[in-house]
Amino acid sequence: MDIKETINGLTQEMRRGTIIIGVLSQLSEPQYGYSLVSILEEKGINIDPGTMYPLLRRLEKQELLESKWDTNETRPRKYYLLSPTGKEVYRQLCQEWQMMTVSIESLIRGGTGDGVS
Amino acid sequence: MELVKKYIYAVTNKLPEQQRADIEKELHGLIEDMLEERTQGGIPTASDVEAVLLELGNPSELADKYRGSKRYLISPELFPTYIFVLKIAIAAICIATTVAFVVETVLEPAQIQGQLTSYISSIMSGIFQGFAWVTIIFFLVDYKGLNKQKLNKNSWKPSDLPPLPDHRVKIKMADPIVSISFTIILLVLLTFSINLFGVWFSPDASIRTVIPIFDEEVFRGFLPFIWVVFALNILSDIMKIILGRWTIKLIAFDIVVILLHFVLAVFMFSDSSIWNPHFLQQIAQPDLIQHESDGLQFIQTVWPNATQGVLAILGIILGIQLITTVVKYFKIKDLT
Repeated sequence: MDIKETINGLTQEMRRGTIIIGVLSQLSEPQYGYSLVSILEEKGINIDPGTMYPLLRRLEKQELLESKWDTNETRPRKYYLLSPTGKEVYRQLCQEWQMMTVSIESLIRGGTGDGVS
Repeated sequence: MELVKKYIYAVTNKLPEQQRADIEKELHGLIEDMLEERTQGGIPTASDVEAVLLELGNPSELADKYRGSKRYLISPELFPTYIFVLKIAIAAICIATTVAFVVETVLEPAQIQGQLTSYISSIMSGIFQGFAWVTIIFFLVDYKGLNKQKLNKNSWKPSDLPPLPDHRVKIKMADPIVSISFTIILLVLLTFSINLFGVWFSPDASIRTVIPIFDEEVFRGFLPFIWVVFALNILSDIMKIILGRWTIKLIAFDIVVILLHFVLAVFMFSDSSIWNPHFLQQIAQPDLIQHESDGLQFIQTVWPNATQGVLAILGIILGIQLITTVVKYFKIKDLT
């Protein structure tokens, strides 16, 4: 039972690093917080709203996102969109991600083979 | 919906003013969206609201996420030391007030009721003050001292590493603890029981009298200065507990504190107004004389020179402290 907890913890830690790139990837179109949560959930990435909303604010403060209130709908919603800086950052993060997956992939496949022996 | 308002208030009320309204509006929208998804457009029940709020989690944790950091008065690194010093301080305050109470009861057993009331009130105010002072001192140490260290983290160099503990630079924990305890005990006695500092008589077993040597009113005027100097003394002891070893800065601070003690002593005893002006008359009362005539003569000769005498004694004590501290400086100069 302990090993499950350990695996859970480690998985969460790995996921935490991927949240930002996941969020940035969906913001070339304006989205509000909850719609982002649903979109990412559909694609298998679970972020609870309590994490998403503060994160969006932080990214806006770092000038990666721009925001605008939309008051035309039934309820006012704050829409976020990638800023020019955000686009550039996202592009470079993607490159880093590719390199990382290649490296990890080669580590897992190469070397000792199954990673156990 | 009352519950939703309460929840949003609990999240936003501790956030910076300028973000509050915006976050409030955003959270409102979010909770409505979550409710809508849950009820598929129906009217949300109380249990729906509860479930959604549970999903969002503890409001103070959410506020922490919005803030991006947790807030402390005393940082976790210092907290154990803080509690440790707080315990010493509270214990010293309790000991000092209790000693004063016992002495006063022995002096005037008939007044026990009034003494008990004043004992309870001084122990309460003493604990409160001790708590406040220790907290303020630690807050300042934390705010001024550790934050600087954190800022320096970027430009850290291997040469910044503290030297391995050497028995010559190590501070024995007992020293600052004893020093803090004595300082606080003296502080409490000087603040609440200055009338006990005097010459004690017991003409017969049941009566005891104290002739105070200080003029209480004049002495009270000096109390704020005494508090400041003693607080600096306690601050230096706390730094010793935190650092655990002598540093050049710590020694320099110690020297400043010793000099301040001396300045304070000179300031207090610069004229004789601090002494009880009626001391000699009070002590010469006939019912006291018969029993203590030798002592009386002695006191009458000593009294006129009290000012110089006190200054000389304090000067010698502080001088010795100063010399040992300076010697310490030369001993460890090459080690730190």
